[in-house]
Amino acid sequence: MALLEVRGLVKRFLGVTAVDQVDLAVDSGELVSLIGPNGSGKTTLFNCVTGYLGADGGRVLFRGRDLTGAAPHRVARLGVARTFQQVSVFPRLSALENLLVFLQQHQEEHLLARLLRTPRLRRLEAEAVERARRLLVLVGLAEKADATAGSLSYGQRKLLAFAGALMSDPDLLLLDEPAAAVNPTMINQLKDHILDLHRQGKTVVLVEHNMDVVMDLSQRVVVLDHGQKIAEGPPDAIRRDARVIEAYFGR
Amino acid sequence: MLHGLTLGSMYALVAAGLALMLGVARLINFAHGEFFMLGAYVFWFGYSELGLPYPVAALLAPAVMVAFGIAYQRTVIRAILPRSWHVQLIATLATSIVLTNLAIIVLGTQPKEVPTALSSRILDVAGLRVAWQRLLVLAASLAIFWGLHWFVGRTRTGRAMRAMSQNREACAVVGVDVQWTAMVTFAISAALAAIAAALVSPLFNIFPDMGTTLTLKAFAAVVAGGFGYVNGAIAASFLIGLTEALAGSYISYAYKDAIAFVIMIAVLLWRPQGLFGRRIGI
Amino acid sequence: MRRVGWLVLGVAILAAPWLVAAVVPRQQRYVLHVLIFTALFAALALSYDLVVGHVGSLSLGHPAFFGVGAYTAAILATQARWSFLTDVFAAGLAAAVVAALVGVPLFRLAEHAFAVGTLGLALVASVVANNWVQVTRGPLCITGIPKPALGPLAVATLPAFYWLALAALIVVVSLYRGLTTFRLGRAFHAVRDNEPLAASAGIDPLKYRLLAFTIAAGLAGAVGALYVHYLSVMCPEEMTVALTVNLLVIVFLGGVGSLRGVLVGAVLFTALPEVLRLAPTWRLVIYGGLLLLVVIRSPGGIESLLRRASR
Repeated sequence: MALLEVRGLVKRFLGVTAVDQVDLAVDSGELVSLIGPNGSGKTTLFNCVTGYLGADGGRVLFRGRDLTGAAPHRVARLGVARTFQQVSVFPRLSALENLLVFLQQHQEEHLLARLLRTPRLRRLEAEAVERARRLLVLVGLAEKADATAGSLSYGQRKLLAFAGALMSDPDLLLLDEPAAAVNPTMINQLKDHILDLHRQGKTVVLVEHNMDVVMDLSQRVVVLDHGQKIAEGPPDAIRRDARVIEAYFGR
Repeated sequence: MLHGLTLGSMYALVAAGLALMLGVARLINFAHGEFFMLGAYVFWFGYSELGLPYPVAALLAPAVMVAFGIAYQRTVIRAILPRSWHVQLIATLATSIVLTNLAIIVLGTQPKEVPTALSSRILDVAGLRVAWQRLLVLAASLAIFWGLHWFVGRTRTGRAMRAMSQNREACAVVGVDVQWTAMVTFAISAALAAIAAALVSPLFNIFPDMGTTLTLKAFAAVVAGGFGYVNGAIAASFLIGLTEALAGSYISYAYKDAIAFVIMIAVLLWRPQGLFGRRIGI
Repeated sequence: MRRVGWLVLGVAILAAPWLVAAVVPRQQRYVLHVLIFTALFAALALSYDLVVGHVGSLSLGHPAFFGVGAYTAAILATQARWSFLTDVFAAGLAAAVVAALVGVPLFRLAEHAFAVGTLGLALVASVVANNWVQVTRGPLCITGIPKPALGPLAVATLPAFYWLALAALIVVVSLYRGLTTFRLGRAFHAVRDNEPLAASAGIDPLKYRLLAFTIAAGLAGAVGALYVHYLSVMCPEEMTVALTVNLLVIVFLGGVGSLRGVLVGAVLFTALPEVLRLAPTWRLVIYGGLLLLVVIRSPGGIESLLRRASR
């Protein structure tokens, strides 16, 4: 059984079919890239899978459970993490606090306990802080732990968002253009991080325009054009696929 | 029934202005009701104090309110337009409070009456006794809406307004004068409120507080009609007006003010996007 | 040195009745009255700030919850002879229940519609209070609400009521702090600052907004109960839209989302007008003007000025 399965997904906007009967299956531990020209429906697909948009047809299954139409927070709680194309942080919270927010779902405590700050709560909080600090070190933002997220540079916020997605130790990571508008050094950093995740057995699906990243990292590449899946296969095969070349250059 | 239509016309004129501002300029103007209130007082001043003939006084109100509106737009609105809607709402609410209370201080809380020739002349038709003024209100409103529809559909500024309501960023690129269009829209919005006041003042009393309740009901109509969709707001206004009149006679006069909100809440519960959906347009 | 300063302030606040008696003996009743009002308003403003400042929902319906609590307590105390603590509790509970009920449909609305919807709620509540004469006695007001009694202890004197109000304020402040820090506070702020991102972190925005809204309403209701026990009278005029303006001014001029800001705002905007003896209409004109200025020029309010000064 595939970890994530998308069957015949359809999404329409005001007469335009943004996602047109797309099938996608991702097995546990795979590293898949989703590519296609601008407007091909990649982010829309992500949004449908993660609950930000309602699908007009088709189904989304995660571990065999039907997730179609589930609210984003429910999807997140099931172990699916995502990043956003427009880098998204909590601007008024510190970098550390930003990460602590992502651990919310694992620490549901009774309201009264929260207000009274029991010892158990304090211990869980300390563990959360530990984990957050480790992730900040991982992405190289350790010194910025107490800086307001809004004051960080674009690249730093991107790293912070990436770290946030990792906080809850998700099983499935959906990264929307992680390498966009980022300098080459950071791109290499990101590639290393993603490869690490892959080696740890995490399942990663990338939407990406940067072909180097796609070709270097992916086990499998899925190509969308005008909302339809036009090709799927290992990076080398995709690179040479006539339909893919036509989609990107043929107009 | 006719009372309901009269109310509906009044609400519709006011709500249309509000919806226009919301649709075209994305502005939440909580002081809109005060345009009506001030327009009513200008009309009263022109008609009762200066002794101007009815049509002149009736046109004086929108003229003055347009000028006032432009002044208001250049000062307050310019400052809050780029800000978050929280800021817009609070700032315009604050303005509403200031205007209302200044009116109380200057004009006193005693309601004023502005009876005109038509408000006391009754038309007798098959047993139905109807004040000519009410027919005037209805006829004038319909004429105005038809005129508005033509303006938005046919003139350059009207097209610009429609374009702005759909895609503001693209407008600047294409060469639409955003500032000018916004100002014109605001002027129209103020004029609509003032004309409504001039039309309806002969029938009802004028008092400084009337703006507040009217703003709320107009907002209820705008929200129920689908935020920013002018025709929706007009339709919802008539619905509110008729229901209020009905409720006033059959259920309880006292609760009629709450009717508008009960309707709005009912509509929103049934269709959270409003009666006509979130159609941003005119 | 600062510690000592805080200690002195704390003692002064606690000993206020005696200080006031010593400094302005002829005005003692009046000054204490102002202080009590300030404490109650501060508590109310803090409850309002939970919704506006920490979860970011611009609710304009707070007077409705204040009113529900006030009338519940008034009716229970006069008709059913409930004891003070139980009717305060019932008042808070009633207000919270109403909030939960209206909150579910209201929070499904987009932000602007939510604001208008809550305004409508306040209006409807006001109309009901004015017209449901069988229950609320409408404009005739509910009178004869007994003074509070904590068991055998009657809170009959002004200083006693002052300490009661102060205690209530301290409770509200503690709750406020507990709700706006650590995990719960972070969740609220996450929903406020970036709702889609919060959702991607597993936080249900509706649940948290509703939680803040309901708790805030319950607190407002409880303050309402205290209010009626103090004045021993409850009239529909106490829950009009003017109350929303007052609260907006306190919260926005003081500093939305900040404990210190809201407290400073409450002190300034409750005590000051009383001291200056402004007529209600002029007070509203000035408030409106100030609100307009502040919201355009310095949306952080006094709190942001204080922060800048301390740097």
